[in-house]
Amino acid sequence: MTFLEFTEGPMWYVAATVFVVGVLWKVIGLVRIGHKPDIAPPKGSAAGGFLAGNIRHFFPRGLFAERTWMHIVGGYGFHLGLFVLLVFAAPHVAFIQERILGFGWPALPRWGFIVAAEVAFAGLILLWVRRISDPVMRLISDWDDHVGSWLTFIVMLTGCLALQEANDALRALHIFFVNGWLIYFPFSRLMHAATFFLSRGYTGATYGRKGMTV
Amino acid sequence: MNAPATVDTAVRKFLDFTDADVASYLETCVHCGECAEACHFYLSSHDPKYTPTYKLFPLVKAYKRHKAPLSSLKKMIGLVPAELTEEELREWEPLVYDSCTMCGRCTLVCPMGIDIAGTIRKMREGYAAAGIVPDGLKSAAENAERTGSPMGVTLKALQAQLAHQEAETGIRIEIDKQGADYMAIFSSMETMGYPEIFGAYAKLFKRAGLDWTISSEAFEATNVGVQMGSGPLAKKLVQRIVDAAERLGVKYVISPECGHAYGALRWAGPNLVGRPFKFEVVHIIELIDQLRAEGRIPPGKKDGRKMTLHDPCQIIRRGGILKEPRRLIADAAENFVEMEGAGVANLCCGGGGGVSANPRAAELQKAAFSFKLDQISKIGGIEAVVVPCANCRTVFEDGLDEYESDLEVVGLGELVADTLADD
Amino acid sequence: MMLDIHGKFGAGPARVAAALLLAFAMVLAIALGAHAQSSVRPPSNAVTNVTKPVGGEVPGNALGATSDGEVWGAIRHGESGKVTIPDGYAATLIQSQGQDWRLLRDNFIINYGAMLILAVIVILMAYFAIRGRIPISGGRSGKVIPRFSLSERVVHWFTASVFVLLAISGVILLFGREFLLPVMGPEAFGLVASAAMQGHNLFGPLFLVAIVAMFFLFVRGNGYKLVDLAWAIKAGGLLGGHASSGRYNFGEKSWFWLAIIGGLAISTSGLSMLFPDFAVETVAPLVGGGMAGRELLQWVNIIHAVSAVVLIAVSLGHVYLGTIGMEGALEGMTRGTVDENWAREHHDLWHAEHEGASTEDVAMAEAKAAHGEV
Repeated sequence: MTFLEFTEGPMWYVAATVFVVGVLWKVIGLVRIGHKPDIAPPKGSAAGGFLAGNIRHFFPRGLFAERTWMHIVGGYGFHLGLFVLLVFAAPHVAFIQERILGFGWPALPRWGFIVAAEVAFAGLILLWVRRISDPVMRLISDWDDHVGSWLTFIVMLTGCLALQEANDALRALHIFFVNGWLIYFPFSRLMHAATFFLSRGYTGATYGRKGMTV
Repeated sequence: MNAPATVDTAVRKFLDFTDADVASYLETCVHCGECAEACHFYLSSHDPKYTPTYKLFPLVKAYKRHKAPLSSLKKMIGLVPAELTEEELREWEPLVYDSCTMCGRCTLVCPMGIDIAGTIRKMREGYAAAGIVPDGLKSAAENAERTGSPMGVTLKALQAQLAHQEAETGIRIEIDKQGADYMAIFSSMETMGYPEIFGAYAKLFKRAGLDWTISSEAFEATNVGVQMGSGPLAKKLVQRIVDAAERLGVKYVISPECGHAYGALRWAGPNLVGRPFKFEVVHIIELIDQLRAEGRIPPGKKDGRKMTLHDPCQIIRRGGILKEPRRLIADAAENFVEMEGAGVANLCCGGGGGVSANPRAAELQKAAFSFKLDQISKIGGIEAVVVPCANCRTVFEDGLDEYESDLEVVGLGELVADTLADD
Repeated sequence: MMLDIHGKFGAGPARVAAALLLAFAMVLAIALGAHAQSSVRPPSNAVTNVTKPVGGEVPGNALGATSDGEVWGAIRHGESGKVTIPDGYAATLIQSQGQDWRLLRDNFIINYGAMLILAVIVILMAYFAIRGRIPISGGRSGKVIPRFSLSERVVHWFTASVFVLLAISGVILLFGREFLLPVMGPEAFGLVASAAMQGHNLFGPLFLVAIVAMFFLFVRGNGYKLVDLAWAIKAGGLLGGHASSGRYNFGEKSWFWLAIIGGLAISTSGLSMLFPDFAVETVAPLVGGGMAGRELLQWVNIIHAVSAVVLIAVSLGHVYLGTIGMEGALEGMTRGTVDENWAREHHDLWHAEHEGASTEDVAMAEAKAAHGEV
């Protein structure tokens, strides 16, 4: 078995299983903690609030934007760029079609990939550099924050190094780190990608019950 | 409340109060640090330790060790944090009590929508149970246990203030009127510092033809149990009001111009006593606004001063009563100007959430208030600020003294009563 | 380089066409294999002119008076003819400057570039071995002064991260064939080179963003002043004596301008190579370059390589002084504050202006630095 066959074969299946089971376990585990029933008569809808909270917190408030621009630029750049790469990069679409879903969708042209990658890298570097420079960020960051950032960076980097798609070893290296990332994900703060809708939603639901505008 | 200061007690309470909401908050926080930029204690000091999410660290530690899904798996390979220590608990006490007014402004800027204020409220349960509480709040709690009021306001003191207001307005205020529709309760700060509010209520309700009374057993609205984080005390204080209101058979209890009191009775109340009330809780601003809409208290000559409105966090941002005060002021003030960030994003006065009852936090509160003052000064030429919360109002008056400002502070109820149309 | 076609070949497009045909045949022959060509050479007495001109002699004396050797020589030196297809470059069979470019790159840039970088490393190591770390002469004062704002630090480290990635991949691309290929073998080197090229192309455009941001954030205080001349003459105090300086000294200012100018040269040349068609067809005419496409790109490549090698060499000195070379320098860029004694020693004029901000409350000073009170 070649290294590529290993990373795309057994290792990939293990990583994907850990990822899927771990994420489900955690999200279901969180929801199952539950809360005490609220018997105060509601003024509005909790479900509506759950949804409103989710939508509202996608957009930064103008009042704070001047103070937090660096995070807004870095955060949006990185996340949007990564999302586009993850879902629309041609090798990813092919992988999803062949290995996961059985169907695909139109992929990005090469220049689109480049733009998305530039934006994602710039955003991630900006976020991490801010993390090590800002006194607030230094105080609140722990090793998990750094491991998550670096692991994601390495996954993105190896992906781009393999862009020529001419070399099995480079492809294998990328998939190796992707597998590592998938295994790390459910045990780390990377999980925010799967739980953000809960935290936004629960706050939104509380506000919604009180008839508040979020 | 006088339980031994053990880590065990605190951790157990932390875990008890970590429901799905709190757990998802703690899981989702990515340490982005945005919340610092919304916190008046951080803004006024630039000290990183006042970053809101940092204030939650003891809770995070306990949660990650004992309750987080998959933590047992992580424990096996030593990836969970160590047990919380008493030193850590004590180190964080000033952060949890002195530097958080539970104003909830940080939630607005949080990309994950994390309710840090509500989580601090739950953390304080652990602290209160372990007996690690600032002295100022401790003595307020002792007063409340004994008299029902954190300032120890007695019925006699109330009666003296009422008599004075009755003389001033010529309207009688009936105490313990069985079967009245409405029962009003008051913040001890109002009773002792701003008794004109009794006269204002009397005037407004007489004009509106409202049948109301004050209970001699439960006239205090402030709930120091909620501020300190003591569920049992909070329950006891709510129970007094519920018992009195149900004994008098009123249909409504009027929550006063006081921040935490509203949430304590309206939203936490039924959950604390464990059953729905036999009456409705209505906030005084909602009630006046409703009476105005029904045409029962028509507006008269407006106040000519250049005015702005301070949004008390627990009433506006966390209470949802956003438009009502603005409608009332539009009728009452000729020259009303909003400040930057007015409404849900307004800055806290710096003294809510028990901070103003905690002398140790005086310097922090003063520094935070300077931000509030800046916000008002930026508008330029403001003569009076409407502050519809008795606690904020006390913080304002102390702060304005400190900074030698001649800005006037008015309550909303009084403003509406003063600008009522002549008979 | 251009030759006068009419002068050299005599008049007539037909001659040119003949020359082109000949050249085409030769290129084709080379492509088909040189040995095959030689093995089918006809005997010297054979009649090679099989297809005779129809209707007598071709007008204009098509066979011409120029020898094959001369024609080939002209082509070799960049002679171009005429083509009717839209791509005008097709008329030049051999772009002769390519040879110059290759020689320049292989013999000059690679050799001297490698020497320069190695020399800097050796000098720095020797300097460190002899002189050691430059200490803060008065020791640490315990008091700090805010020096770099959060925005400045973030932009600095952003630039640094991108620079390091580009420098590593760029060094592999420039020197790899010479130094890595013999060691790694073609298989492994092919992999590394492919990865380096993709990575280099991808991170390249970010460097332009970084350099522009760098310019705007650091230009304040980087203008040359008279005091810098004195600093330069005293070689920054290396030769003994005290060298005065403001917020930045002569060396730092020069590094700033070198980084900006070199960075812009690298970025624009890099982008030209990343988007060659756009550079040649759209940008070059706009900036008035009368250069042909290939020639332009060859120059661009040289500019890119030379400025990159220079920046890498100087950056090693910058990194050295900022880290192990000098006590108290790094924290300015990490924590945003510097020790007061360090400031007095290395930036006395700046220190005099900022003495009031000196404090023992390190955390507050860092907070102030972060919020731009520098």
